[in-house]
Amino acid sequence: MRAMLDRLVGGRLVPLFIKELTQLGRNRRLVVMLIVPPTLQLLLFGFALNPEVTGLKLAVVDESRTPESRQLVSAFGESGSFLIPAQYPSSEQAGDAIARGDADAALIIPSDYAERRIRGETASIQLLLDATNANTASIAGGYAARIIESLNRNLAAQRPRAARPLSLTTTVTLLYNPGLQNSWFITTGMIGTLLVLVGSLVASGSLVKEKETGTIEQLLMTPASATEIIVAKMLPLLILLTADIVIALSVARAVFAVPVRGSLVLFATAGMLCVFAGIGIGTFVATFTKSQQQAQLMAFFVNPPVALLSGVVTPIEAMPEWIRPFTLINPVRHFATISRGVLLKGVGIDILYPNVLALLAAAVLLVGISAWRFRKQFG
Amino acid sequence: MKRILAQARKELAQVRRDRLVLFLALVLPQILLALFGTALSLTVTDVPIVIQDLDQTALSRAYSDAWRQTLTFRVVELGSDSQPIDALDRGDARAAIIIPENFERDAIRGVPAEIQILVDATDANTANVLRGNAFGVTANFARSQRSGAAPAIRPETRLWYNPGRDSKRFVGPGAFAVMFALFPPLLAALALSREGEQKTILQVYASSISAHEYLIGKTVAFWLVAVAQWMIGVAVLRFMFGIWFVADPTPLLVGTVAYLFCCVAFGVMVGAAIPNQAAAIQLVQIVGFLLSFLLSGLIFPISNIPAALRWIALFVPARYYIELSRDAFVRGAGWPAMWHVPIVLSVIGLVFFAVAWKRMRRMQVSA
Repeated sequence: MRAMLDRLVGGRLVPLFIKELTQLGRNRRLVVMLIVPPTLQLLLFGFALNPEVTGLKLAVVDESRTPESRQLVSAFGESGSFLIPAQYPSSEQAGDAIARGDADAALIIPSDYAERRIRGETASIQLLLDATNANTASIAGGYAARIIESLNRNLAAQRPRAARPLSLTTTVTLLYNPGLQNSWFITTGMIGTLLVLVGSLVASGSLVKEKETGTIEQLLMTPASATEIIVAKMLPLLILLTADIVIALSVARAVFAVPVRGSLVLFATAGMLCVFAGIGIGTFVATFTKSQQQAQLMAFFVNPPVALLSGVVTPIEAMPEWIRPFTLINPVRHFATISRGVLLKGVGIDILYPNVLALLAAAVLLVGISAWRFRKQFG
Repeated sequence: MKRILAQARKELAQVRRDRLVLFLALVLPQILLALFGTALSLTVTDVPIVIQDLDQTALSRAYSDAWRQTLTFRVVELGSDSQPIDALDRGDARAAIIIPENFERDAIRGVPAEIQILVDATDANTANVLRGNAFGVTANFARSQRSGAAPAIRPETRLWYNPGRDSKRFVGPGAFAVMFALFPPLLAALALSREGEQKTILQVYASSISAHEYLIGKTVAFWLVAVAQWMIGVAVLRFMFGIWFVADPTPLLVGTVAYLFCCVAFGVMVGAAIPNQAAAIQLVQIVGFLLSFLLSGLIFPISNIPAALRWIALFVPARYYIELSRDAFVRGAGWPAMWHVPIVLSVIGLVFFAVAWKRMRRMQVSA
């Protein structure tokens, strides 16, 4: 054990480590790159991805023109979910408004509406929804159903009990994110994507630069082994990128008021593992490329699947069945689960350990493979 | 004219010879289109939920079955000793339905029986959809239990353009548009900044070609590459997503000519301004791609973006082209709704090109 420690600390690792650290410290552009793009991206994603469905434009065609039909229209107007910019004389014109994008939905009340209501029969109304955007259509349909249901309830209260639906009420409690802030969902996951992407960019950049300028040969001529060189390259990056974890979390807290309900230590550990995975990916890519721009182009093959198949932007439950297992090998997916667990749900390691282990395995595997590739190439 | 064609031919020959670039040009866009179209969906299915039935009567079991019959939800068993909240904490379930004691008795007597529904709102959008569904399941169940309880008002809902609420029809045409905001400008920017980086630009200066001929030559070459990408992309939409033109395709065709020019011109501008390939790639990636991904209405409506950021979307070409491609592939309103798009795209493209030209002209003089 002692001998091993001696070899590690007393050997060439420390000078190499110091060399890397000074090199990184002198690189102004790198420092800027570590701070500005991640912060900007976190802000952009947090602000721009907002699923709220409010102010839906409803085109109304009231063929009944009775107090009953006006009651229905005003129920839609008062709900706050729909705006009624204009009434249309015919359903064709309302349909055209949807086609032009002037309306998101149309409500068509037939001429016999009031008559049927007065006779106690079921009155049908037509609701047209622009389902181009399936998600908005689902939510809009839900809003409309709710408005009509509450009207129905009020009307049913005047009937004998046997003709009323069962009296069931539902109270929905929204846990962890009662304000339905999508930025909480996006930023908590996005931090992981950023750590992996920035980590891989910086790692491949620093390695490819040595390859481009030929200084890697000089390094290899020193008595240091390939393993020592690669470890000494990775460690300072890890320290530097840890700063990114702090920056990202601070932005999320300060701008989006993301809560911290669990252990920050666990969060930071997950973040470091993510950085490790990123460095592994970057080093791996670097061993295949000769130049900076080749490395960046190669990243186009790796980054999109890592970013998309993670459940960060869209839920994994919305992906097709066959693709879901692939998300399990994605470090960002596990980071997102841990990050949301710690920050939003306030749960601990006792629940999150499977994800921590998976993340650890991914990080070890990626760093291991890349170190092996590096040694094979230069050792 | 001859010099423009020569420049374009030289550029295409260069693309053909570089295997990595050729792959980036023709294969990767389609892979990403397929990936985006498949992975970017908001329509959840099979969401795990738990039901805690404290009543254990015929009615409460019938109510539980109503949940089992939906496509959106999948009921997972709640261990006998664990509480619903634990299942949510662990992430085993996204929602918990708690049926109170005396559920059946109260419901029949007409005393409101209160069902508690806990929703994991970590994912705000999914939580919103689940809340709406939960409401619908309960209301339908309440009505189905009383034969005489026909509702006073019954909505007949029609979903236009996309009756199956298939999110591929929404994301497919959108991802299709975003792809062209990434790859054609990337290739164009690489080609121009390479000349600057490797100083072959000096040979261009020394030759008889003028700045606009040089730029038009490059633009034409990469526009042709983009057209090839576009055609393969349409085939991917057709065969992977089952999407095809629903009406008159001419607005899309005209708009495509303008949009591809706009995208290539953006790359030409970046490449002319930055004689460093690595930096040019990053700029295209961040400005061209990120903004097109986030501020174009690809996933959520642009109107939801805070006003302080929303104005940027006015200058994002993909935002206009997405409207156009969604119209051509899904909605089908045609020219009356879309006439402005080719004009706006041409104007933005010309601005990009003019900036590149201004930059090039100056370099020529100073070099």
